[in-house]
Amino acid sequence: MKKYLRIYWPFAANQIKSNFVYKGRFYLFILRKFLGMFIYYYLWMAIYASASSGELGGFSRSEMILYVFMSYTISDMVMVGISSEIGYDVTDGSVAMSLTKPIDYRTRLVFKSLGVMIYRAVVPTLFIWIGLEIYKVCKLGMPVTNPMTMTATLLSVLFSFFIYIFFDYCFGMLAFVTTYIFGMNIIKNATLNFLTGRLIPISFFPTALQKIFSFLPFTAMTYVPVMIYLGKYSGMQVLEQLGKQALWVVVLYLFGSFLWKKIERRIVILGG
Amino acid sequence: MRKLSRYFSLYRIFVMQYIKTTMQSKVDFFIGLGGFLISQAAGLAFLYLVFEQIPSMQEWSLEQMLFIYGFAQLPRGIDHLLTDNLWMVGWQMVIKGTFDKYILRPMNIFFQIVCERVQFDALGEILVGLVLVGRAVANGTVQVTPVKLLFFIVSMAAGAIIYTAVKLILASIAFWLKDSSAIMTTAYEVADFAKYPIEIYAKPIQIILMTILPFAFVAYIPSTYFLIDANFWKTIGAECAVAAVIWIIAYKIFQKGISVYESAGN
Amino acid sequence: MSENLIELNNVCKEFVTAKHYPGFKGAVKGLFSKETVTKTAVDDISFAIQEGEMVGYIGSNGAGKSTTIKMMSGILTPTSGSCVVNGLEPYRERKKNARNIGVVFGQRTQLWWDLPLGETYTVLKEIYEVSKNDFEERMAFFNDVLNLQEFMHSTVRTLSLGQRMRADLAAALLHNPKVLYLDEPTIGLDVVVKDRIRQAIREINQNYNTTVILTTHDLNDIEELCQRIIIIDAGKKIYDATLDQLKCDYGDSCSVLFEWKQNLDSNQEDMLQTLGGQLVLHKQEKGIQVCFSKKECSVAEVIAKIMGIAEVKDVQIKETELTDIVKRIYQGSEGKTV
Repeated sequence: MKKYLRIYWPFAANQIKSNFVYKGRFYLFILRKFLGMFIYYYLWMAIYASASSGELGGFSRSEMILYVFMSYTISDMVMVGISSEIGYDVTDGSVAMSLTKPIDYRTRLVFKSLGVMIYRAVVPTLFIWIGLEIYKVCKLGMPVTNPMTMTATLLSVLFSFFIYIFFDYCFGMLAFVTTYIFGMNIIKNATLNFLTGRLIPISFFPTALQKIFSFLPFTAMTYVPVMIYLGKYSGMQVLEQLGKQALWVVVLYLFGSFLWKKIERRIVILGG
Repeated sequence: MRKLSRYFSLYRIFVMQYIKTTMQSKVDFFIGLGGFLISQAAGLAFLYLVFEQIPSMQEWSLEQMLFIYGFAQLPRGIDHLLTDNLWMVGWQMVIKGTFDKYILRPMNIFFQIVCERVQFDALGEILVGLVLVGRAVANGTVQVTPVKLLFFIVSMAAGAIIYTAVKLILASIAFWLKDSSAIMTTAYEVADFAKYPIEIYAKPIQIILMTILPFAFVAYIPSTYFLIDANFWKTIGAECAVAAVIWIIAYKIFQKGISVYESAGN
Repeated sequence: MSENLIELNNVCKEFVTAKHYPGFKGAVKGLFSKETVTKTAVDDISFAIQEGEMVGYIGSNGAGKSTTIKMMSGILTPTSGSCVVNGLEPYRERKKNARNIGVVFGQRTQLWWDLPLGETYTVLKEIYEVSKNDFEERMAFFNDVLNLQEFMHSTVRTLSLGQRMRADLAAALLHNPKVLYLDEPTIGLDVVVKDRIRQAIREINQNYNTTVILTTHDLNDIEELCQRIIIIDAGKKIYDATLDQLKCDYGDSCSVLFEWKQNLDSNQEDMLQTLGGQLVLHKQEKGIQVCFSKKECSVAEVIAKIMGIAEVKDVQIKETELTDIVKRIYQGSEGKTV
C-alpha cells in the first residue's frame, strides 16, 4: 500500500501544483463556477416567484438554493474527466507506449484526477460550502448540518468521484472507435447534466423516468450526495444509497478492466 | 473589386474542402451534430419540466420562453458555424506559435483564420433555433410581416457579429497571456444567461450583460421586438449599434495583439 | 556595389515573462506576485545582406537565430533598432513585405494540414496572385528539383517529414520571393533528402537570384550552400565573414594522430615532454595526438620530430572541420564575455 502510494501519489501532487501555477486560470476557474451557479440561482428564484405554492418538486425555495449550489460544487469537484486525455493518448499513440511501463494506465489517470479533485475541494468548494452553511443558518434560518449528515455526504461525494472516473474511463475507451472525442464529450456532458440531477432535481421528472434513473449510475454522481446533505433521506435510506454507490464503483471498475483487456489485446496485435 | 473576388474564391475553396472532409467522416459529423442537438434538448427539457410546475415565469409563457430560447440559438449558431477557428487562437495558436503563418501571408489575418474552418456541428444549434422560431410563428406567438422578417434577418446578423466580436476580443487576450481558452470558456458560460429574460437576474449581472459582455443584445432584447412589439430603436436598433461598436473595439484589440505577438520557441 | 537588400541596425528584442517560483509554496506565491523577468533574446545586432547572397546564420540553441528571422519576416516587432527588408519595415508593412519573402520553418509547416498538397498550391496561387503562366512554369520547376509529383494528391498531414519539407519549400517559393528565410530546413531529414533540398536551394538561388538566409545546426548545410556566415551567441553577433575568410582566420590549426608500434619507455616519454612549444600533446591509449598551427610549423616537420623519438605504426592527419572552428569561436566569445 505504501509502495503503491509512493509510485502514484506524485501524479496527484503534480496536478495540484500545476493547477496553482497558472494564476489567471485559477481565478477564472472560480469565476466560471460562480457564473454557472448564479444563472440557475436566479432562474430558480424567478421560478419560485411565479409559483403558486412554496414547494416545487418536493423542494422549498430555501432547499432549492442549497440544491443549486451543492449540486454545482459537487459535480465540479467529482467530474474530473479523463476521457479527453485517453483520447489524446490514443491519437498520438502513447497508450501503446504506456503498456511498456510498469505503471498501470488507469491507476495513473485516477491519481491525476484525484489531484485535481483535492485541489478543487479546497478551492473553491470548501469556501463555498462554508459560505453556504453560514447563509443557510443566518439567512434561511435552517439548523446547522449535523456531523453525521456531513460525514455521510462527504463519503457519498468520494463514492461519486470514483463512480464518475470509472465511468469516464469506460467512456474514454470510445477513443478507440472514433477520433472525435470532443463531439462525444459534448454529448456526454449534456446527458450527464441532465441525468445526474445537476440541471434540475430528479424529483421533477415523471415517476416512470425516475424509476428508470434509479437503475443507472448517474444519479449516484451528484443527486445522491446532495439529497443526503439536504437530509431528504432517512437513516436507513442513507445507508441504502451509500451501498448502492459502492456497488456502482465496483461494477464500473470491473467493466473498465474488462474493456481494457479487450483493447489491450487489440493494441498488442495491431500496435495501437 | 478584384480583391473581393480573390477573397471569395479562396473562401469557396476552403468551404468545398471542408465539406469534402466532412463527408469522409460522416460519423464524426453526426456525433458533433448529435452533441449539440442533445445539449439543446436538455435545455428545452429543463424549460418543459419547470413549466409543468408553474403557469408562467414573470409574465412570460412557455411559448414565449421557447421563442427567446430559439432566437438565442440562431446568432450563436451562425457565429459558431463561421468563426469557430478563433478558439484555436486563444487555445493553441499563440502558445504553439502556429499563428506565425498568418502573418507571413499577404492577406487579411482575420479572414485567413476564419476561412480555415467551417464548424458544421453548429447546424445542430441552427436547426433547433429554426424549429423553435418556426413553431412560434406557427402557433401565433409572433406574427410575420415583411418588415419584421427583414429586421429578423438584420438582428441575426448583428447578433452573430456581437458573438464574433466578443470571441475575437477574448481570443486576442492570448497575445498577452499566451492562452485565453479559460477566459473564452467562461465568457461562453455567460452567454447562457442570454437564453432567459434578463429581468430575472440581479442588477449587477444585468449591467454586465448589457456592457462588458453584451449578450443581452443578441437574444432577449431584440426578441421583445417580435414578442411584444417593443420599441424598435430600443431593441433591434440598439443591437445594431452595439454590434458596430463592439466590432470596432474587437478589431482594434486584435490588431494591437498581433503587434505584441511573441511567437514561440523562446 | 549593389544596394543592400536587408539591413539590420542595432536590433534588440526583449521578452518579458512572469516570474515562476520553485516548489509547492512557490506555486502558491506565484498566484499573488507581479514580478517579471526580462530576457534579451537579440542584443544589438547589425548586419547587411545583398541581393543574391546565401548567408548561413548560426548559433547554439536559444542564441536568438529564430528571433532574428522572425523580426526580418514581420512576425516579431523589434524592441529597438531598425530592420529593413527590400526597403520595407516588415512589421509595419506586413502585407507588402509578405509578398517579398518566403519562409520555411523546419519544425512547423506553413501548409494547411487538411488540404491535399495540390490544393494547397492552388490556394497559395490565389493568395499571392500568381499568374497562370508563372504558376505552371514554377510548378514544373519545383517538380523537377523536388519531385513533388509522387505525393501531390496526398493530404498534408499524411506526408513524411522529408516530403513535407520539400512541399514547404515549394510553397515558400511559389510567388518567387526576393528573400527566402530557412529556419533549420534539414532538421531530422535523412541524407538523401537533405541532399535534394540543398540541391534545390542552390538551383533556386542560381535561377531566380533569390537571397537565402539559412539557420541550421548542420554545418554541412552551410559548407555546401553559403558563401558567408554570421555567428551569434547569447543574442550578440560574434562573427561575420565569408566562409573563405573564416577558414583563413581559423582553419590553420591541424592535428596529427600517431599510433605507437609498442609502448614507450620512460626515456622516450621524457623526450616527448621536451617537444612542447608550438605543439600541444594529448596522450592517448596507444598513441598521441599532436595539435599545432600550420602558420608555425608544417605537418612534415611534426611527423619528422615524432618519428625521431619512437617507432610509429600509423599516422592520421586531420584538417580542422567547420564544426571545430565554430566551437572555437563560441569558446572565444565566452572567454571574452566572462
